[in-house]
Amino acid sequence: AKSIVISVEGMTCNSCVQTIEQHVGKMNGIHNIEVSLEDKNAVVIYDSKLQTPATLQEAIYDMGFDATLAD
Amino acid sequence: LFLGSPGQKHEFFVDMTCEGCSNAVTRVLHRLGGVQFDIDLPNKKVCIDSEHNVDTLLETLKKTGKNTSYLGEKSAQ
Ligand SMILES: [Cu+2]
Ligand SMILES: [Cu+2]
Repeated sequence: AKSIVISVEGMTCNSCVQTIEQHVGKMNGIHNIEVSLEDKNAVVIYDSKLQTPATLQEAIYDMGFDATLAD
Repeated sequence: LFLGSPGQKHEFFVDMTCEGCSNAVTRVLHRLGGVQFDIDLPNKKVCIDSEHNVDTLLETLKKTGKNTSYLGEKSAQ
């Protein structure tokens, strides 16, 4: 499993956090996701055969947040 | 095929709880394009005037991950 940090802009409260955690958590190959309102990011542990940094970033972007890959 | 009548807006329920939610709705609709809309956060309603059909609009709103449903047409004021 791999781990990645994705910057997420636009969350304002805990329900935003939960929406992203639930939505991304349901995707294939996600072992764990932890979203932080304070740090404005999502830490995702995933199976690299099923997801890539780009697919994860896109999934959060598609939900209406500004998601960028931290380097 | 459901096209709707001219001068009618489509009203949707979107389970928004905060400004982050309504901003997310705003972003997904802007990215779709070809829409004019009003968001009523307290009443969890989104009213859309668009060339897109109801299915496309519903799919787009559902991208936010929020509970979403179509309420019906609303006469334009
Ligand atoms: Cu929120
Ligand atoms: Cu919200």
